[in-house]
Amino acid sequence: MTDENATKPETAEADVKGLTRAQIRRMKRFDNPWQNPKLIWGLSMLLGIIALGVVGRMLWDTDMVFTGSGIPRQGPVGVENLRGQVGTWAHPLGTDVTGKDILALLIVGAPNSLYVGMLASLIGMSIGIFLGFSAGFIRGRLDDVIRVGSDVMITIPPLLILVVFQAAYGDISLTVMAILIACFVWQSPTRLIRAQVLSMRESGYVQMARLSGASTWHIMFREMLPNLVPYLFGSFIANVTTSIVTAVGLEVLGLGPQRVPTLGRVIYDAINSGALIQNLWWWWGIPTLLLAVMFIGLLLVNLGLDEVSNPRLRRL
Amino acid sequence: MTVLDLRNVSIDFPTSKGVVHAVTDVSLSVGKGRRVGFIGESGSGKTTTALSAMRMLASPGFVAGGEILLNSLEKPNLLDLSDDDMRQVRLSRISYIPQGAMNSLNPVMRIAHQIWDGIVAHEGALPQGDLQSRSDAALAGVGLDPEVVGDLYPHELSGGMKQRVCIAIGVCLNPDLIIADEPTSALDVITQRHVMQTLRDVQSEIGAGLILIGHDMGLMAQSVDEIAVLKKGQLVEFGPVRQIIERPEHPYTKELISSVPLVGGKSFLEPAGEETATGFRSENGEPLLELRQVSKHYGAVTALHPMNFTLDGEVPKIISIVGQSGSGKSTLGSLMLGFNAPSTGEVRFKGRDINRQSGAEALSFRKEVQAVFQDPYACFNPFYRVNHALKYPFERFGLSEGPDHTQTAMVEACRAVGLAPETVLGRYPHQLSGGQRQRLIVARALMLSPKLLIADEPVSMVDASLRATILKNIHDLKDRHGISILYITHDLATAFHVSDYVMVLYKGHIVEAGPPKDVIGDPEHAYTQLLIASIPWPDLDRDWGSSKDARQGLEALDRLDGHETIMRGNIPGFELVQG
Repeated sequence: MTDENATKPETAEADVKGLTRAQIRRMKRFDNPWQNPKLIWGLSMLLGIIALGVVGRMLWDTDMVFTGSGIPRQGPVGVENLRGQVGTWAHPLGTDVTGKDILALLIVGAPNSLYVGMLASLIGMSIGIFLGFSAGFIRGRLDDVIRVGSDVMITIPPLLILVVFQAAYGDISLTVMAILIACFVWQSPTRLIRAQVLSMRESGYVQMARLSGASTWHIMFREMLPNLVPYLFGSFIANVTTSIVTAVGLEVLGLGPQRVPTLGRVIYDAINSGALIQNLWWWWGIPTLLLAVMFIGLLLVNLGLDEVSNPRLRRL
Repeated sequence: MTVLDLRNVSIDFPTSKGVVHAVTDVSLSVGKGRRVGFIGESGSGKTTTALSAMRMLASPGFVAGGEILLNSLEKPNLLDLSDDDMRQVRLSRISYIPQGAMNSLNPVMRIAHQIWDGIVAHEGALPQGDLQSRSDAALAGVGLDPEVVGDLYPHELSGGMKQRVCIAIGVCLNPDLIIADEPTSALDVITQRHVMQTLRDVQSEIGAGLILIGHDMGLMAQSVDEIAVLKKGQLVEFGPVRQIIERPEHPYTKELISSVPLVGGKSFLEPAGEETATGFRSENGEPLLELRQVSKHYGAVTALHPMNFTLDGEVPKIISIVGQSGSGKSTLGSLMLGFNAPSTGEVRFKGRDINRQSGAEALSFRKEVQAVFQDPYACFNPFYRVNHALKYPFERFGLSEGPDHTQTAMVEACRAVGLAPETVLGRYPHQLSGGQRQRLIVARALMLSPKLLIADEPVSMVDASLRATILKNIHDLKDRHGISILYITHDLATAFHVSDYVMVLYKGHIVEAGPPKDVIGDPEHAYTQLLIASIPWPDLDRDWGSSKDARQGLEALDRLDGHETIMRGNIPGFELVQG
């Protein structure tokens, strides 16, 4: 018994004659979607920030985040401040108005900001997956409740509520802040997953799975969820960005954790102590730069994942 | 005098796997007032060739060589025109009638305005009155009432009317050439005949050349003067329609012609030589499947009127349910699978109501009633290798005696449907062709050896040359494995060959039922007669009728309300009771 169709492609065959080796290499890279330059760049930027936290703790004295660790208002290496003092290697990125070492603040603060974003997003996604699947698959009254609930939540500006809450509550830990933010980032994954599940539950392979006697649990998590992974990743990354923006927003208003250095907190202190008027640019400029790196990294990862999951966006 | 000449045209698509030569060295001419059919399977380059004349190739494709001459231009080579000049040529000299009319019209514009759009783009602003009379004339030309249809929005029209609006837009500037890309593939046969005849009429009225792209040899035979057969981007045969149909030279052309099943023609099923498998007798003497007063409403719409029939599985049989889209045939299929609950009545399998079963009963019902669906592309989860679709139910139903046994069963099932196991197993769905996937789904059904198989349009999305093979696989399930089959289809010709009993469904009623040689070979009900008359035959001496016939047929259908089933005889083991 032979299968005459097995090896016969439906269209004319491709030929690789007359192409340079560089072109073929580009094509190979195109074949493996994970070798996406945007994804690789974005991930290395994020890993760079994590590395700053990990390697920094090993090589640098993080106790210098405390007041009076050095001479106040010192510039980075080789930079002269308003008093004519030139920055030294003792504080490579300078110090703030109370003598805290900026490098130490960044080593501790940058991973903290990323941690808040990741944790909030993770919690939000978990809620979103659960609610989205329930609404899309079970339908009925539950769907109405979840849909209306998430639609209403989308219209409420999170910062407003968080400001009120934190102002009343005072000092909080990073984790509590992440949980608070998570309460405002589950709506869009819920809507996204619900919409995907709704279209997927009528698809051929879900029908096939039902024919195969699969349980609801199997259909939801073994048949549907794997196909949602690209969407989930994309949504997760977008949520991390939103969460970090919210967290930094709160911190810059002075409402974040009071005792733990974060990037937002450093910027708040800088603004509050007149860093702009004293031309202490390293104090607010370097943390802002780090935040920018973080956001660009997240954006690139998101774009890269988009291209991985949607080959049409890829270009040769 | 030719309108369009293609000279040694080659089209390339650079892709990640290298350059695909989608079209290689194609030369042909379209004469004034002539109709040329491009026929070939999906991926054969027929649409690409035609679109190159519009210079509308999908990115990254490009014309790698040759000339495309539109002879009414001063400088005829289309490839030398600037983009702006080419824009002027589109619609006014060459117009394009797309495949899916439902997606081609702007949903927020009235029909008349959409016709004006094209006129204004080519002739500048015109007075309202002129535009109105032009669009009225265009709509009247395709048999639509301009007073009514011109003011409607696309969603208010039926599929056939939308396609005729697309034709009206295509011809409103009297082009030299019309390219129609499978204009009727989304329509049922009755509407297809009407739309094709409309297209033929307006085309001969304005004297334009016509390129008709399609894959149905019967439709081509009834519609065109010359046929170009394409395969893998090469023109394998080109000539007058009579020559191609009656004396095809290339083996591929012969294959295309022979793959069209004919009512009453030679059967494409080889007679089952061996003794046929015996069916199944239920323990308690209850019939395999029984429908009692089953009906289904969706809101105010009745998809299915009360229906009663009994199928005992003792001698396996293929029962065909034939009808057009909207006839309720797929609703019936999903009721029998238990995916939907009926609005009234009950569906009983081995004497038990399938919508009132315990968990264990439901699982054994699933094991015994399987299905093959229409769309082979959607039936596999893209995340898993194709083995998953075969392995999972086999293990889930407790048929497997271990991984080795599962593997052997999969290999055997693949061989039984004519697939080489090593070329399909372990691959991802997107690496297989539609035909291979559909055969794998048949293999899956075979592995589970159900008592009843519901085949819902199993071949309508598969290339013509593979249809016969897949139907033969399904037929084998009955002959060799004793599985009773409900074959749901819109295609009367295949139903004629495959089935033991045919039910014709129209607007949720069974209008005619009986053995296929009576119902399809010699129909009595007006609807069945119209269906048979509308099939395009790949036989030039059998006339399709004029557009007047088609319109009369459609009007007669509107007046019809058949609640009575015309019974054309019975077969043992299946009983249909007048609803």
